[in-house]
Amino acid sequence: MQNAAAARHDAQEFEPKVVAFLCKWCSSAGSDLAGVSRLKYPANAVPIQVMCSGSVSPIYILSAFNKGADGVLVSGCHPGDCHYLKGNYYARRRLFLVQKLLQFVGVEADRFRMSWVSAAEGAKFAEVITDFVNDLKALGPQTKLKANR
Amino acid sequence: MVPVDDIRARARDLLQSGKVRAVLGYRRGTAGLLAEPAFMTTAEETAALVLDPTCVENLALYLVNEKKRMKHARQSDRRPLGIVAKGCDSRAITVLLQENHIRRDEVVVLGVSCEAGGMVDTRKLNKALRGKVATQVRFDSEGDINVSHLGGSTTLPARDVLANRCLECARAYPLDADFLFGEKVEERPYGPRFTAVAAFAETSREERSAFWDAHFERCIRCYACRAVCPMCYCDECVVDSTSFIVGPTTTADEKADRVRWINRSATRSENAMYHMVRAMHLAGRCTDCGECERVCPVNIPLRLLNTMLEREALEMFQYTPGLDAEQPSLISSFRDGDPNDFVR
Repeated sequence: MQNAAAARHDAQEFEPKVVAFLCKWCSSAGSDLAGVSRLKYPANAVPIQVMCSGSVSPIYILSAFNKGADGVLVSGCHPGDCHYLKGNYYARRRLFLVQKLLQFVGVEADRFRMSWVSAAEGAKFAEVITDFVNDLKALGPQTKLKANR
Repeated sequence: MVPVDDIRARARDLLQSGKVRAVLGYRRGTAGLLAEPAFMTTAEETAALVLDPTCVENLALYLVNEKKRMKHARQSDRRPLGIVAKGCDSRAITVLLQENHIRRDEVVVLGVSCEAGGMVDTRKLNKALRGKVATQVRFDSEGDINVSHLGGSTTLPARDVLANRCLECARAYPLDADFLFGEKVEERPYGPRFTAVAAFAETSREERSAFWDAHFERCIRCYACRAVCPMCYCDECVVDSTSFIVGPTTTADEKADRVRWINRSATRSENAMYHMVRAMHLAGRCTDCGECERVCPVNIPLRLLNTMLEREALEMFQYTPGLDAEQPSLISSFRDGDPNDFVR
């Protein structure tokens, strides 16, 4: 009885770790804008600036899960807006396959997310993070791929 | 199946005329039922060449290995290598060509069609024979397989003993061959593709998770799947780096700063990482020769991962690996119509 109550308490306290790979030209600037606009959103995401969402190798994502992330977000420019013209199209195709693979081995679909956030979309960035963190809170900690050496 | 004499004659011709430096084919093995890969360098040796339902190995692997060997041996023999290739092997060769790993003039492809047949799965065969030791396997008429064993012979339906990849094979003939033996048979009698993947994808997330946990738990990290795959030709692998050398002068800082993407320890999480990274590396490149699964000593269904990505590539991106050496690879290309609705 007490354990159940404690577990419920823990579930409420659970703060998911999110690793967010943000493209330097759009999403990173978008997260900046969310900050300077003083928008309130959960502080669970660790931003990692990458030059392009197309430079995010599948192993970055798998490694993030391996090192204990509860969720991984990859965010880039909207299609057509890529600073390198087509990096986000490559990312879309590649990360689609990563997502399918994660789901196929039994990782919850909500643990990996991709979004397009432009430099002007501070509000959207805050919304993406908020949604993601809420979904992850419902899922609980990620143990499937987390390193257990 | 295909008349073996024709292949022998062609191989002999190529070697006698000096057009190739060796012919890579199969000969009767000394251990077990399966035929073994053989480098034939003289015309006489081609008499031993065989082709029957026990020629399961993917010979494209030996093109990759031979290239590595040639690099170290400093040989000057630049003549091409003849290779006997089934449909799946020839697709593997096409992927190697597509990636500029080999050039087209470095190989002479003696393509053989499996026609309506395929290659046997020894695990299935042993089960069907119930302890009898098979000595010879050949195709009978109408999709039956005739197995000789000590003290007699048995006829089994091909469907029961063929390798799973052969049952799902869509093109059992080589597309890019210098010489083609056998008929290109389009219709294969074994049923639709991706049946195993489709059935597995239907199961619940918990079931899938438990299934893979159980399998990844068992992986002993022998890397046989990596060693046998013709597409796994990188000099440096993510699990064992060759560019980071620990010597007496390596400082603790240098060791600590090194990125360890995956540890080599055979624990569930690391095994899952290894197999997922492997599957991603093979996305759009795997030609489903099924060798990884065949050589796995603990029977991990590795083909399931690879064919899942193959199915996604086909259904979402209309991409089939190994069809055309000129087309861009799956993940070095994109279309405007690629799926976008999964992105928020």
